[in-house]
Amino acid sequence: MSELEFRLPDVGEGLDAGEIVEWHVQPGSTVVRDQVLADVETDKAVVEIPSPVNGTVLRLGGDVGDVLEIGALLVVFETEESVRIRSHGSTGPATPQSAGKPPAVGEQPAAAPALPTPVAVAQSPETGAGGPSPDAAADGGGSRTGRVLASPATRRLALEMGVDLGAVRGSGPGGRVTSDDVRSFATAPAVADTATAESAPSPRKSAPAAGEPRRAVRRLTDETVPLRGLRRSIAKSMTASWREIPHITEFREVDATALVQARATLRPHLERDGVPFTFLPLLVKAVVATLAEHPKFNASIDMDAETITYHGRRNIGLATSTGAGLMVPVVKDADAKSLGELAREIDGLAAAARDRSVTPAEMSEGTFSITNFGSYGGWLATPIIRPSEAAIAGFGRIRDAVVPVDGVPVVRPTLPLSVSADHRLVDGEDLGGFLATLIAYLADPILLLKGE
Amino acid sequence: MVVGEVAEGVDLLVVGAGPGGYTAALRAAVLGRSVLLVDRLGDSGIGGVCLQVGCIPSKALIEVADVAHRAGGLGDAGLTVRDVSVDLDRFQDWKAGKVGGLTGAVSGLLRRAGVEVAAGEFRFTRPGSGVLQSADDRPPRHLQYTDVLLATGSRPVELPGLPRDGLRVLDSTDALALRSLPRSMAVVGGGYIGLELGTAFAKLGSKVTVIEALDRLLPGVDAALLRPVRQRLEALGVDVLLGHRVEGFEDGVVTATAGSGVVRVPAEKMVVAIGRRPNTDGLGLNKIGITPDGAGLLAVGPDRMAAPHVAAIGDITAGPALAHKATAEGEVAAEALCGKPAAFDPAAVPAVVFSDPEIAVAGLSPEEARAQGMDVAVARLPLSASGRAATMGATEGFTQLVVDRSVDAVVGVHIVGPHASELIAEGVLAIEMAASPLDLLASIHPHPTLSEMTSDVARVLLHQPAGATVPAPAAS
Repeated sequence: MSELEFRLPDVGEGLDAGEIVEWHVQPGSTVVRDQVLADVETDKAVVEIPSPVNGTVLRLGGDVGDVLEIGALLVVFETEESVRIRSHGSTGPATPQSAGKPPAVGEQPAAAPALPTPVAVAQSPETGAGGPSPDAAADGGGSRTGRVLASPATRRLALEMGVDLGAVRGSGPGGRVTSDDVRSFATAPAVADTATAESAPSPRKSAPAAGEPRRAVRRLTDETVPLRGLRRSIAKSMTASWREIPHITEFREVDATALVQARATLRPHLERDGVPFTFLPLLVKAVVATLAEHPKFNASIDMDAETITYHGRRNIGLATSTGAGLMVPVVKDADAKSLGELAREIDGLAAAARDRSVTPAEMSEGTFSITNFGSYGGWLATPIIRPSEAAIAGFGRIRDAVVPVDGVPVVRPTLPLSVSADHRLVDGEDLGGFLATLIAYLADPILLLKGE
Repeated sequence: MVVGEVAEGVDLLVVGAGPGGYTAALRAAVLGRSVLLVDRLGDSGIGGVCLQVGCIPSKALIEVADVAHRAGGLGDAGLTVRDVSVDLDRFQDWKAGKVGGLTGAVSGLLRRAGVEVAAGEFRFTRPGSGVLQSADDRPPRHLQYTDVLLATGSRPVELPGLPRDGLRVLDSTDALALRSLPRSMAVVGGGYIGLELGTAFAKLGSKVTVIEALDRLLPGVDAALLRPVRQRLEALGVDVLLGHRVEGFEDGVVTATAGSGVVRVPAEKMVVAIGRRPNTDGLGLNKIGITPDGAGLLAVGPDRMAAPHVAAIGDITAGPALAHKATAEGEVAAEALCGKPAAFDPAAVPAVVFSDPEIAVAGLSPEEARAQGMDVAVARLPLSASGRAATMGATEGFTQLVVDRSVDAVVGVHIVGPHASELIAEGVLAIEMAASPLDLLASIHPHPTLSEMTSDVARVLLHQPAGATVPAPAAS
């Protein structure tokens, strides 16, 4: 037996720290290789850190809420194995936590051989008319891999409330999940008590991120919560952008008659396998076509090196609101993708962002961003540029507006849009040119067929 | 669509009026949808195979055959019955009346719910559209649906080279419609349909031979459950040929081979029950981009959706081809199509064989439970422990409980014995509710009944001394 120090592996490109959101082991826990040790939240995603070895946990490198630098001590094991942690660490993030089925509290991997088995009923009839005590089964870790124990009515309730039964801690014997468990799981964050909220198992679904004001509960005292995780990352990025980038923003409205028609025509052909065909793939197409003619808008400025980099690829970031905050997954090489491919990829990325399974890699390398304030009814806005990018386009909600056509008032579907650009890179005239091109494509999407 | 054809708009189209289809149609109507239910046979197809030519008619035959047979089986108890005979001609009229009553009741439910029923074969022409072609020379109806639910069921598979002729080579439907008793009958296929039919006709007086190509009856059913059934078949004089393939049927003789050996089975009729094939081949599914798998089944999610706006349930999807599965799926599919959260996610789909004795299973077999990594305990209580069974003259059978000890939950219940089909429902409830063996034991079961077996087998598992229901005469 020897001690082995396991350090926080590099969990994503360019990220230098992660916050411990949840420990799945404690000192004394027996672990097997690939068993999840902790959930660590980086700037953008929650990743599960798997154990590199079979062994016993001696010490933990921090408490829930602590921010660890990459390379900081995470866990000290006692193990007979000697492992090249580096190689394991580099495969690192393992699977980002999906919305699927997080390991239930007390659940152990099926392979764990040395787990204490709960006292079997048949072996101890005198303990009563009972079976194993609830705690024995819930915490002792039955190696059950079957379904969650819950009645059909409870299952239906969970379905209706959008609760993943696997994530609910069952209060009944043997971890049985009751309808009350489901209800309290669904409403857990509403309990405005920081202490209990932190010690309780954190619901994975529909739970506001730490630091988010909880649901309005009538109270007279202020509540201060730590700035953590995604909220902190957004705060840092927006502050940097606002402080460093001199923004210029222009607003336009474009006649969307042809765009609406184009979507209606394409929709029956491209709406497959449950993937909706929204306006977004068309907007992305129009933007990448415009970028081809205005390379200054697909560039980065570096004031320290005093260089401007014109990007070869056109990777379009899509601002996506999630329960936890704004995320910007990136459609890589959007210029090389068909509308159908874009629709599928956008749908997949948005879903991944919402359930926070999107990987840091899927959110990096953006060269231009699109925000869609129309999705919440917005008309015009002043989008803030993502640092290192040169501009951002924002689209409002298409609505009927009275416009003059040949001197006569006519009702037309109208798309409001605004583009913010970095004034260090582009001048007002450049921005006007960019908008003119973009509007030409939006007003007459057939032009997208002409090629670049 | 060709110019000149006028398409009718349909809100929700349900294809197939079997138990799954009509249940879904009713549920969707309750949820406010305007539903068109189409079936090959229109109104007279309501209830599908199950009601018209399957579950219900076969149970009618089994009931009559069983009563006739049992009447003569209690001689030791002093019961003498003379001249028991079954007139199949009158039976068919009686059965038709029962089936007619049941389909009429469903028809009435559909009518009152505002569901329109139409006759015809439906096939897709493109996503969102299809054509309904009726058997008579009425012009086809062109339908444009918002949502469609497929519940087209399955049909019997024929023996290669020996197609059904309805006279000598019968399928299960033909066999259930016989108006005179064949002196001898070869039943090809030892699955549940073959066993049920073979047993019933043997009880009515036919000389029955069951021919199965595999080396066992009821594939998929735990072998232990089969033993009482094999004994009973033997007692009824049913010959069982396992590992035999039927090669021909000429001049009243069925030829079956096993390796180099040839067996000649005299048979007036040959009933083929070797399986069923999903009815997905005539739907034009390629027109909406759906491809059935090699077995003709459609892939669906837990919400029964096969594609956007297209749901599929019952025999055309994976899982046992059972009416109650289709019905449960129909409810889920209807709700999913109406935008409600819904998932078909049962802990147990019970399966019942109306053999003699009956076999009924729910949940996991001991092997399946072990394979899932459960800490498995199994208890089995023979029917000879039941006082009520003794008074019925039934002693062959047992009840078996499979428990996952790590969570103290019942995960499987298997019953062989009289009325197993009725008794299994308690097992399903226990599994769905994750009941513990103690829950079963502590719930008072009426005495003297066969249902006590369920609590007593829990007692066995809990190692408690047997109580009042050791093989004791009924005391009440």
